[in-house]
Amino acid sequence: MPPSNTNLLQGTLDVLILKVLALQPMHGLGISNRIAQVTSNTFLVKPGSLFPALHRMEEAGWLTSSWGESENNRRAKFYRLTAVGRRQLKQETDLWARISAAMARALKAT
Amino acid sequence: MPLWPKLNSLWRSLMERQKVEDDLTNEIRSYCELLEQQKIREGVDPVTARREASIELGGAEKLKEEVRNVRRGAAFDVLGAELRQSLRGLRRNPSLAVLGTTMLSLGMGASIVVFSIFQSALLKPLPFRDSNRLLAIWETRLDRGIDQASFSEANFWDVRSYNHSFSEVGAYHYDEANLTGLGPAEKVVACEVSAGFLRTLGVSPILGRDFSYDDDRGGFRNPVVIIGNKFWKTRFGSDPNILGKALRLNDKAYVVIGVLPPGEPWIDDQLYMPFGYRPDADRDSWEFQVIGRLKPGTTQEAAQVDLAQIAGSLAQSFPEQDKGIGFFFTPSSTWVASQTTRRALWVLLGAVTFLLLIACLNIANLLLARGTARMREIAVRTALGASRARLIRFVMMESLLLNGFGAAAGLFVAYVGIGVIQSLEIRGIPRLADAGLNPWVLAFAVFIALVTGILSGLAPALQAPASGIAAALRDGDRQTSSRGQGRLRNILVTGEVALSFLLLVGGGLLIRSFKELMTVDRGFHTENRLVFTVNMPRSYWERVVGKQFLDRFFERLKANPQVLASGAVNQRPVEGGDPGMGIDTPQSSAKPPWAGWRVVTPGYFAAVGLPLVRGRLFGENDKPVWIPKDVPPYPRRVIISDRLAKQIFKNEDPIGKQVLLWKGQSSGLAEVVGIVGDSRERGLAENPTLTVYLPYGTNALTSEFVVHTRDNPLALVPTIRSLVGELDPNLPISNMRSFDQIVYRSVAPQRLNAVLLSIFGVLALLLATTGIYGVLSYSITRRTPEIGLRVALGATRSNILGMTIRQGLRPALIGALLGAIGAFWLSRYLATLLFGVKPFDALTYLAVAALLLATAALACYIPGRRAMQTDPATALRIE
Repeated sequence: MPPSNTNLLQGTLDVLILKVLALQPMHGLGISNRIAQVTSNTFLVKPGSLFPALHRMEEAGWLTSSWGESENNRRAKFYRLTAVGRRQLKQETDLWARISAAMARALKAT
Repeated sequence: MPLWPKLNSLWRSLMERQKVEDDLTNEIRSYCELLEQQKIREGVDPVTARREASIELGGAEKLKEEVRNVRRGAAFDVLGAELRQSLRGLRRNPSLAVLGTTMLSLGMGASIVVFSIFQSALLKPLPFRDSNRLLAIWETRLDRGIDQASFSEANFWDVRSYNHSFSEVGAYHYDEANLTGLGPAEKVVACEVSAGFLRTLGVSPILGRDFSYDDDRGGFRNPVVIIGNKFWKTRFGSDPNILGKALRLNDKAYVVIGVLPPGEPWIDDQLYMPFGYRPDADRDSWEFQVIGRLKPGTTQEAAQVDLAQIAGSLAQSFPEQDKGIGFFFTPSSTWVASQTTRRALWVLLGAVTFLLLIACLNIANLLLARGTARMREIAVRTALGASRARLIRFVMMESLLLNGFGAAAGLFVAYVGIGVIQSLEIRGIPRLADAGLNPWVLAFAVFIALVTGILSGLAPALQAPASGIAAALRDGDRQTSSRGQGRLRNILVTGEVALSFLLLVGGGLLIRSFKELMTVDRGFHTENRLVFTVNMPRSYWERVVGKQFLDRFFERLKANPQVLASGAVNQRPVEGGDPGMGIDTPQSSAKPPWAGWRVVTPGYFAAVGLPLVRGRLFGENDKPVWIPKDVPPYPRRVIISDRLAKQIFKNEDPIGKQVLLWKGQSSGLAEVVGIVGDSRERGLAENPTLTVYLPYGTNALTSEFVVHTRDNPLALVPTIRSLVGELDPNLPISNMRSFDQIVYRSVAPQRLNAVLLSIFGVLALLLATTGIYGVLSYSITRRTPEIGLRVALGATRSNILGMTIRQGLRPALIGALLGAIGAFWLSRYLATLLFGVKPFDALTYLAVAALLLATAALACYIPGRRAMQTDPATALRIE
């Protein structure tokens, strides 16, 4: 599976979703809320980018989905990380660490 | 494994589409509800919460569309949906579908017809193994201006023995024989070939054996024969036990030793006999077609050098016959179609490409107009979330669909068209009978459907989403939004007119040229003449029987009141072969002119209507120029054609003067007793030939009979048949035709070209006219309020008519100008096909321009009249 790091923004969203789902399975709105929360509202994920990303990642085999009950007893679709998704998260985390370190150095140097 | 979920999801999105779709709908709905509840919990009132949630979601359909696009198999899905959508669109607009399909089917049908002829004539390889290593070899005598001649028998054997470049060299000598003992006597083609000939070609018998090298000992004496496949099929019903049976050819029994596989027509319907090496092989007479198969790894250039060495030593050893000899190759790919045929087929293919392009432009125009009419629909689609790519795909799909229908209908048109052309049995177009809708042609049809589909969809597709959504959604913006589009459509129409101009000029030039060809002075006369062949076997030449038959036959014919004149010649005019000789005065040291020679009976000149210019015709006392060894020498006498006389004797009176026949070969003196008119004996398009006429006799027989009748010559056929049968039942009559038919057949390729190109031209004109009409009438409709205003302000009806016609004629004028320039540039490729007409024939150009502009004006008149009748009150109310 080639990491989709060609597009920085898309890569950002993917790694955030993977990270959020690494803790526990979640439904769409939950994911979007959690991302807003952990990035201190830096990233507000709109359904227009969230849904295509979730479905693409599911196609890629990083996530699986199933219907379940939400915290207030509503039917919702829950996404959970697969083993492949976990490996992907590891790879992307390493990559991000390298990129952010490199960027930090580069920006300080000037 | 990641592969499995991929396949699984592909499977699901293709096969369980409904389930996947429902799932997505539910997911989005649940998201929306959750969001709404969350907002309510945050203290927003329920109505606002619902609205905010919907806004944040940004349109469920658009969202779904985006999710679908990331899904695997999405492409199939979308394609299917778009196909259905396009089909629906076409069904809603049947006039577009019918008009478009009809136009395209004509263009494509024509293309497919031409391509299928082209493919079978030029692209289909020869049915011989490694045919690219197969060459025809010719003798040359460049110092005498002979650049392509057949071989002499002895030179063939020398080249065969001494060359190092060919794995095998074979020779072929055309001959005919009388086949008896199988029903009525019949003339068949029975060629003598060297033992290696079929091996050189790369053909092996399917039954029996090839000639062995033992068969070819002893010249022409070995009585064995191999038969062509068609010969076997038609005369022996494919009898599997044919081997070992005897055929009576020229009163001699030949044993069948082999049957050839089916192949090219020219090897299929004939017999092959072996001829072998003999020490006294003839070196004088050039009668053998020679082919060679290059050794693997040997290039044509290397072979050329090799044969040049042989030529050098031949010229030294046999200075009398082989002075200045050289050799020349033609690749086997040129055996099937002559240079002119190739050129003609290429011109047709080019013409049909233009026609197709015009049809394409027309479709583009229709689709553009439709795009404008659907501006609002497209704007709505865009507003609902259709992406630009998807809109382009949608328009493209429509165009491709239309072209697909066009190609399907075109295949039908082509099927009919090929049948019609084949039924004309045109000589000169090789393998015409094989042309048909084979896989190659079908692939071509698919290819052109795709290419024209993309081409004609291009402009409308790029046009569609460019216009602003908001503007399109507003009403009453029809005047402002598509000025650019009007210009684009005008450019398309200009292109159509230019291309039509090209085609019409091509067609016009070919028609003019054909008319010139048919009215050119032929020298001979064809009306009320019957031509037929009576072949006499070789034995008739050695005894007096042959001459006796001729004399009795003409005597009996003369008694018939229907017959005005009758005679015979050894080569059929227009269709026959052309044996030649060098001829000049004995004193002259210049290069002798090359003239065809013909053995004729005294009545021949009257029979074909050649006038006597000076001197006298042949009489009973003129004997063949070949004087047998056991006969005391007698004076030879010949008649020559007018041009030849002028060339040899300049201003002198040739009558009674001596000429040297076969000068440079086995020369012999002869006296000129008469001069007859020139004739286009080699075909109407060829210059009048230089000809020497020789008297007939026992060892100089004639096989082609010409009878000048009082009325319809074909009415005489039964009389002739019974007369020949009565005089000698063993002699076959063949190729019975009127002279008119012979000439008609000989110009068939030219006629086909002229007719096809004219049809293409007319179709092009029709398409271009539709284009002009469509664009103008559309623009008039859009300008109705403006025209109403003009009328209200005092413009007269003729003002309005003039204005619209001027507007419509502008692209036609520019197109005609561009077309004239293009035609001027392209018509050089037509030059070799023209006869008596220059490629830049002012008359043709002017006529075409007049025709085009007149038709264009007519196409403008109809919308113009509508504009003229605009009622200002109603027109302004639309505003």
